[in-house]
Amino acid sequence: MRAGPSQEDIRRHNLGALLRHVHLGGPISRAELTAKMGLNRSTIMALTSDLTAAGLVREELPRETGRAGRPSLVVRPESARVYVFAFDVGPDRLAVARVGLGGVILDRRETVRDRDRFDLDEVAGLLAGFARQMRRKTRADTVCVGAAAAVSGGVRKGDGVVRFGPNLKAEEVPFGEELGRRLGLGLPVSVGNDANLAALAEHSRGVGAAVRDLIYLHGDVGIGGGIIAGGHLLGGHEGYGGEVGHMVVNPGGRACGCGSHGCLEAEVGERALLESAGRVSSGRHGRDAVRTVVDAADRGDIVAQEGLSRVGDWLGLGVANLVNIFNPEMVIFGGILREIYLGSAAQVRSQLTLHAMAPQRERLRLRTSALGDSATLVGAAELAFAHVLADPLEVLARANA
Amino acid sequence: MTPLLEVRGIDKSFGPVKVLHDVGFSAYAGQVTALVGDNGAGKSTLVKCIGGIYPIDSGQVLFDGEEVQVHSPRDAGELGIEIVYQDLALCDNLDIVQNMFLGRERKHGLLLDEDSMEELAEKTLSGLSVRTVKSIRQQVSSLSGGQRQTVAIAKAVLWNSKVVILDEPTAALGVAQTAQVLELVRRLADTGLAVVLISHNMNDVFAVSDRIAALYLGRMAAQVATADVTHAQVVELITSGRSGELGLKNGVTP
Repeated sequence: MRAGPSQEDIRRHNLGALLRHVHLGGPISRAELTAKMGLNRSTIMALTSDLTAAGLVREELPRETGRAGRPSLVVRPESARVYVFAFDVGPDRLAVARVGLGGVILDRRETVRDRDRFDLDEVAGLLAGFARQMRRKTRADTVCVGAAAAVSGGVRKGDGVVRFGPNLKAEEVPFGEELGRRLGLGLPVSVGNDANLAALAEHSRGVGAAVRDLIYLHGDVGIGGGIIAGGHLLGGHEGYGGEVGHMVVNPGGRACGCGSHGCLEAEVGERALLESAGRVSSGRHGRDAVRTVVDAADRGDIVAQEGLSRVGDWLGLGVANLVNIFNPEMVIFGGILREIYLGSAAQVRSQLTLHAMAPQRERLRLRTSALGDSATLVGAAELAFAHVLADPLEVLARANA
Repeated sequence: MTPLLEVRGIDKSFGPVKVLHDVGFSAYAGQVTALVGDNGAGKSTLVKCIGGIYPIDSGQVLFDGEEVQVHSPRDAGELGIEIVYQDLALCDNLDIVQNMFLGRERKHGLLLDEDSMEELAEKTLSGLSVRTVKSIRQQVSSLSGGQRQTVAIAKAVLWNSKVVILDEPTAALGVAQTAQVLELVRRLADTGLAVVLISHNMNDVFAVSDRIAALYLGRMAAQVATADVTHAQVVELITSGRSGELGLKNGVTP
């Protein structure tokens, strides 16, 4: 028989819950915390003073409240002091951000990545170098409490090994371990799929905040996805779940990087758009090339219009399938899919009307990403903060040691 | 759900020319209602009737379920109805704050209360997640087309408005700025406003709207949920007033 939670467990849980409120919701008064957490005032006071002593939050008098009586103290995250490193490894870019508690991006570095190969030493070396540069610039009283990376590929939940990443040209790469070794901070580096993490980011502090069931679709070279159901990310048995880009929408269609044919990614991804818009020969790729197609379509270029509307049809069909299966409250388009959705919404929504079932589509909200290019980094930062929120004092004690 | 703004049976003639015949139209809080129709279908006339610029010949205007009289733009403004016209009506030689408060300046005794106007302008822009303008003391002449549209929309929202009507807000904009304005339109509705979007661009309409109202030769052909129609159906409603079961029967609203 399992014993019930000890007092110590309950305290740890409450500390984490309070810190989560401050981390996700921003500065909040003690009085509001009392109401939101359903704990009494003296408990809130004890919890905040523990977190203050650990240097995770600080308490301040609010600016004028305009109300009578003694104002309740406002609890703020120590964003400038407590931070994590967030990494993003995409097909076209490598990025690192130093993100403070509360989700503030304090500093960031970014460079263009060569699409043709994946060299673990080079990538990990470069990212760790950026992190060291940023760390040198920090004040002495700052503390790094975690690190995590968003990678465009399938990541094994247990050990952060990138199992497959056709768009990165990476396979069986022990990325988390290598990056952790090179960082030399004595901290493990958690690794997650970029679209999964961007979904978490939009769910925790983006357009999908307070939405418990959502699907985030991320477009770059390929199409990634993150499915949040009942407030939790669907990772599947080993963490490879959510690969909506490899849902087959057109059997016998275009060849996909994964080896199959007619995957959503093969019909909607960057290559498909550039090919059907007749723009492969220009030699340009990436987000700018996609923008050029949308722009040309807007100016009346018929080939670009046809290419875009063809891609919009496939995207709509893919979303209709997902909507029928998961009944999300919101579908979010991020990465290049933001431009593609806004430029072909008539096609996307017509396909939804034709193929999604009425009860699922009636209240569905289609939105573009609120975090934009930062979504993957913000998501990686949330992953890095996760263990701090689970046990704030223990993690801080270890980081300060 | 009660529409926040509803008009019933509106007729409007200019001399012998009948422009609106028995038009009904509703807009709901928290939703974007797209108003579509060919040139000359009566979109602008309908909006000007709602905004109190043209008196209606007959028909009812209901606000939050109660019948109201709108005889002037001032009446509309007092109800919380703001219209952003295509020409935006901004003054190039004034800065963003001056434009937002033009004609409704806040005063502190005899002087203008610049501080509080600046603060409120700043708050409104950041509340709409507008990060594209560098300084709110910038002259409007130095802004791009998209930024001007943003300022005009922010000006409409500043007055505690409940219904915001936007006439072709993306017409003169490039792709990047169109995307920003569309996202702003969506955010306005997501903060609880009833938004009416007049547009000819079907991608814009489908990208952000919850409902579509199609006018055809001065009659309301159909008001439908965007989730229930296809692009082809909307185009048919615009060009012929009907599409299958939807639309006018024998040229008359069923």
